[in-house]
Amino acid sequence: MSDLIKKVTALLNDKTINAFIGYEKGSADRIRATFIRNEDQAQKLILNASCTQNLAGYLLKHEVKKLGKLGILANVAALRSIMQLASEFQIKDGEVYVLFANADGSLTEFTDFKSIEAFLETTDTGIKSEEQEMIAKLEAMTVNERWLFWNKEFEKCIKCYACRAACPMCYCHRCTTDVNQPQWIPVASHELGNLDYHLMRAMHLAGRCVNCGECATACPMDIPLNLLTYQLISPIKATFGATAGMKADAVYALSTYKPDDKENFII
Amino acid sequence: MSRIGVFVCHCGENISATVNCEKVAKITGELKGVEFSTDYKYMCSYPGQTLIKEAIKEHKLDGVVVAACSPRMHEPTFRKACAEAGLNPFLCEMSNIREHCSWVHPKDDLTTEKAQDLVRVMVEKVKKNKALNSIKVPVTKTALVIGGGIAGIQAALDIANCGHKVIMVERQPSIGGHMSQLSETFPTLDCSQCILTPRMVEVAQHPNITLHTYSEVESVDGFIGNFKVKIRKRSKSIDEHLCTGCGLCTTKCPQKKIPNEFERGLGFRPAIYVPFPQAVPNKPVIDREHCTYYIKGKCKICEIVCPTKAIRFDQEDEVIDVAVGAIVMATGFDVLKTDYFPEYGYGKYADVIDGLAFERLASASGPTQGEIRRPSDGKIPKKIVFVACAGSRDPAKGIEYCSKICCMYTAKHAMLYKHKVHDGIPYVFYMDIRAGGKNYEEFVRRTIVEDETQYIRGRVSTIYEKNGKLIVKGADTLMGAQPVEIEADMVVLATAGVANHGAEELAQTVHISYDPYKFFAEAHPKLKPVETNTAGIFLAGACQAPKDIPESVAAASGAAVKVAALFSNDELTRDPLVAVVNRSAPPVYSQCVGCFLCQSVCPYQAIEREEIKNRNGEVIKTLARVNEGLCQGCGTCVALCRTKAIDIHGYSNQQVYTEIMALLND
Repeated sequence: MSDLIKKVTALLNDKTINAFIGYEKGSADRIRATFIRNEDQAQKLILNASCTQNLAGYLLKHEVKKLGKLGILANVAALRSIMQLASEFQIKDGEVYVLFANADGSLTEFTDFKSIEAFLETTDTGIKSEEQEMIAKLEAMTVNERWLFWNKEFEKCIKCYACRAACPMCYCHRCTTDVNQPQWIPVASHELGNLDYHLMRAMHLAGRCVNCGECATACPMDIPLNLLTYQLISPIKATFGATAGMKADAVYALSTYKPDDKENFII
Repeated sequence: MSRIGVFVCHCGENISATVNCEKVAKITGELKGVEFSTDYKYMCSYPGQTLIKEAIKEHKLDGVVVAACSPRMHEPTFRKACAEAGLNPFLCEMSNIREHCSWVHPKDDLTTEKAQDLVRVMVEKVKKNKALNSIKVPVTKTALVIGGGIAGIQAALDIANCGHKVIMVERQPSIGGHMSQLSETFPTLDCSQCILTPRMVEVAQHPNITLHTYSEVESVDGFIGNFKVKIRKRSKSIDEHLCTGCGLCTTKCPQKKIPNEFERGLGFRPAIYVPFPQAVPNKPVIDREHCTYYIKGKCKICEIVCPTKAIRFDQEDEVIDVAVGAIVMATGFDVLKTDYFPEYGYGKYADVIDGLAFERLASASGPTQGEIRRPSDGKIPKKIVFVACAGSRDPAKGIEYCSKICCMYTAKHAMLYKHKVHDGIPYVFYMDIRAGGKNYEEFVRRTIVEDETQYIRGRVSTIYEKNGKLIVKGADTLMGAQPVEIEADMVVLATAGVANHGAEELAQTVHISYDPYKFFAEAHPKLKPVETNTAGIFLAGACQAPKDIPESVAAASGAAVKVAALFSNDELTRDPLVAVVNRSAPPVYSQCVGCFLCQSVCPYQAIEREEIKNRNGEVIKTLARVNEGLCQGCGTCVALCRTKAIDIHGYSNQQVYTEIMALLND
């Protein structure tokens, strides 16, 4: 029996938590999220190098929330998601029990936000080097080239909204896309509809994206959606000194004004 | 089906010179939903308004579009006219075909077409307009005046004399402010204290005014008509009810060498002190920083000598909560000290003083009983140099503005000096003489002509000490920048007037905006000079910008009238054009997900948290709620709300969308 199963069993038995979000074996060689409610189910839990999904998005799902007090197996992206969600008042301190899987397979417990913040401060939270190369390539393009690149990518979009469902920050009960009085974002999967949707999503994630990459992983059409929101991370850091998902009491960079804010984006 | 009326105004020739108004009326009259359309020379005139009113009744109109000037100009006029005809005023909209069309385009068919487009857009909008009712907010008829200088005193007395309660908070042990430090006042040379102290006493004795000295505002919550304020009453270490103000303690205090702030450091005071003889309230406070007892743990001489046993060493700060309906900011200004100026010796020369210190020297109640004696050795200076614009109008010093009062007080200083030292020679270095004001230019002229003051147009580059004299080096720009060197006995710097210390923090505490110099910002530089951008908070005096006494008093009375007007009704009526968070049936309750990004972006602190609870009192959902009393309808929250849970009455998403579509679907 692995340490993880032992730990989760203990947590469930002493009622520290009512349910635990972890990974289990899916069909074929896939890994999928699982929601453990008792000792028997806990036996399904696995933890290996393929367990990379950011599970934090499930914390706010209605069906998961009603299971009671939640525990979660978190990676760095999930920790940052929890911090960002906390800063947006979606998770309260102490509400979620967090188990962090270290690289060597050992587990670290986090029961409060302070310890997560302290941990993140000394952890590499940056964008992966291969992703950085892609961004550098994008940024080296002319505006027109970039426009063509994205339009070509968006052509593939089938508006399945998997990106939205996978994103830990897309927790609105009713997405702007689904608002039809008035219908600002066309629902149809045509050129304008796709562009509008992805631009809207990028803007809604500006300053909030925790670079977990779930959107791109979820996309069945292999659109590198993560690059769209990642590209907004460094300008916001450079302009306002803010990085999303590092502090539970952070204020949103784009909703606050400081007298020393740079205004070099105003043309 | 709508029954909309379109009324196209010629505005004399302002519109009709470039727009074919008859054609606009005719074409827009054919739009779907438009029941009636006409044009008229002056729609805002009495007959024009009558035309609208009669059309509303005759054609049973359910919406009105007035195509005329900017809504900033006449929207209230036309909405009122509609209300008088029985139509909800918020079903009336204006289409701006003057500023947005006729004024900026030549006479052309395209101009007329644009006017038609603008009207069509507004017709489509009005179709989506909803009848709205004005918002009513109760008013607490008590005003808070922050600052007890002349501006605060004037505002407090004016408000109190209107029959309203006033709470005055002053940081210092006494009210009076800078005006109490002045000797005589320009341009009449009447004694500052003589005209001020009766006002100070009036404040203390007024039945409607509650005075809290040695106190500061700690927090301000709420909104116009309904502010909740916490005031920290710092411990004075005396029981004010027992103290008779006999002053025995102040004479016996062993600490006697504390630089006196009121005398601008030219005199000394004990640790238990009254700042000046006419102080209100005339009861001492213990300066705990310098008191022997608080430093060493023993002394208590004041307690021993006090005949009424009023000393309280263990007294603690008291925080009181007050409810007020309006706030007047009257926190005044400060002047730079001489140590700000490296070229003038960083304040190391005792005989280089600032203007306020000179006021104390010239004052009959000052450290020299009104004789002009220099601080270093008490000699009467025979040559004195006044430097105007010390810091002011100097981008290199970061103070680009004109401090406004210095030209006048420098002229006054030179005059007072000459009146007291008949054989002395006053010099004034100046950049320009700015003496705009009633009898001001004449006053300066008198200083130059009758009192033989040497005015030198130029700036002083450096001041240094040599053989007991201050060598003032400058240039006379009217003599071809010829170098000037004066061996002076004393130098007075008219240092720049700056925002009072702590102004920025206070502005943040009360939630008002301020400019880069930390002066409080008015809502409109011309038309709303005493209002702030926060409804219910007003400005008086030099906390807004450097002001002289008449201006401060005028602004204070202006602010007082605004407060009195606010208090003239039991309820406030506001336009209902505010943001609203949508609500829906359970289990959703609202599109709002409670991320509260709107709360941090709102410049008016209008977003509150609302908890939706079930029957057992458990919180099901936390939502944003807009406080209608505070919301100014700016729409920033609407732009930021990802889920489109917030909308603005009168400018709803649906209305804006309809307007855009009306243009695109032409």
